[in-house]
Amino acid sequence: MKPLNYAILKHFTTVKEASADDVIEALKGEYGKFKALNKKDVIAALMTAEANCLLEETRFDLDDAGNLRVYYRANEDGAATINKYIKD
Amino acid sequence: MRGTANAAAVAAKNKLSSQFYRKGITIALFSGLMYGFYSAFLTLGMSKGVWGDWYGVNAAGLSAFVVTYLLGALGSAVNDTCSAVWAMGYAGFRGKLGDFFRCLKTTPGHVMILCALIGGPISSTAYVVGLQMAGSIVIPITALCPAIGAILGRLLFKQELNKRMMLGIAICVAASFMIGSTSIGGDAPPGMFLGICIAFIAALGWGFEGCVAGYGTSMIDSEIGITIRQAVSGLSNLIILLPVFGLMAGGLNLSTSLAIQAFTSGPAMFWFAISGLCAFVSYMSWYRGNSMCGAALGMAANGTYSFWGPFCCWIVLGVIFGMDGWSIPPIAWAAAVLMVFGILVIAMNPMDLFKKKEAK
Repeated sequence: MKPLNYAILKHFTTVKEASADDVIEALKGEYGKFKALNKKDVIAALMTAEANCLLEETRFDLDDAGNLRVYYRANEDGAATINKYIKD
Repeated sequence: MRGTANAAAVAAKNKLSSQFYRKGITIALFSGLMYGFYSAFLTLGMSKGVWGDWYGVNAAGLSAFVVTYLLGALGSAVNDTCSAVWAMGYAGFRGKLGDFFRCLKTTPGHVMILCALIGGPISSTAYVVGLQMAGSIVIPITALCPAIGAILGRLLFKQELNKRMMLGIAICVAASFMIGSTSIGGDAPPGMFLGICIAFIAALGWGFEGCVAGYGTSMIDSEIGITIRQAVSGLSNLIILLPVFGLMAGGLNLSTSLAIQAFTSGPAMFWFAISGLCAFVSYMSWYRGNSMCGAALGMAANGTYSFWGPFCCWIVLGVIFGMDGWSIPPIAWAAAVLMVFGILVIAMNPMDLFKKKEAK
């Protein structure tokens, strides 16, 4: 089992793009009991990864409840860096 | 893609982005403030209980070498160990202890351990040795670490570093020099140049730590990163640095005996517990702030500790505990204002402030 933050980043090397909600949905099977698998902490992790060029924003919209939903992806360089430091 | 988003989404997105940026700067500034309190409470702890005798009457008959080097390393070791206990406790409370042990075995975990060794025992020792060899002139030298961190961030991680940001960093470093210059006395002994070079290793080490560990916390949770940092720093100070100084001072028994006395000195440990808490919060905020707004801005905001250090020592030691010699010289207040301006220059083009006013 990988640390939660690693799993969040690794998720982006397997999908085209994802939002914080998508990440939580994808990881809740394995990490459902982790306190840090919540929207606030996951958004902070994604924005920090973006600030460090691991991820980049692709688009954003409002969900049905009117909450902001930002999508990110790992571009080639970002994915290479993630895979370099975080092994499977 | 963005064109399709409606105005409400754009407004919400802009709000989220500016909140994140502001939060990063606030956290980095807060790390500087907490560093000031950590310095103040550490100094207080090292004047209480058994430390009062060691640095005062010295009934134990400790040599000048032991008082200067070994006690300095012991103070750091006790503080970092207390800090590690706080960090482990907090990680446990936040349900992150499992991830702490998992991270230790990974590449980012190893990088974090390297940062802890470089920023902990290596830089701290270089600083103390530099201080002893060259005198207090080395204090402003270490203020170079934000500039070093920003340059390393550019070289290693391709972080933004334009001319405006370099100017801002230069202003901050100059302000730190102004504060540090107040502690320069006529105490420069022979071997000063070598001492300055050794102190520069400390600035290099802290610059490296802030930049690399800051980037590392984009992969490792900052709360886990700081737990690794303080545990490694505390343990390496206790297990490596202290015995090395002990051997140099005459024997392992001495360092072990002093460590036991320090850890069992109740009146001092109370303050070490508080300094350890402040150090934990300070370093965690430092790493987090650097990862949120880049090494250049993060380290400059953290660099306000050059002002917060004397300020908190004045409040805690001078005002609250009535100790003499902790008042702040006027130049430090002027430097603090200059530093705020420097940070502003790194963070944004000050001319934009006027442009926005005009737009309104």
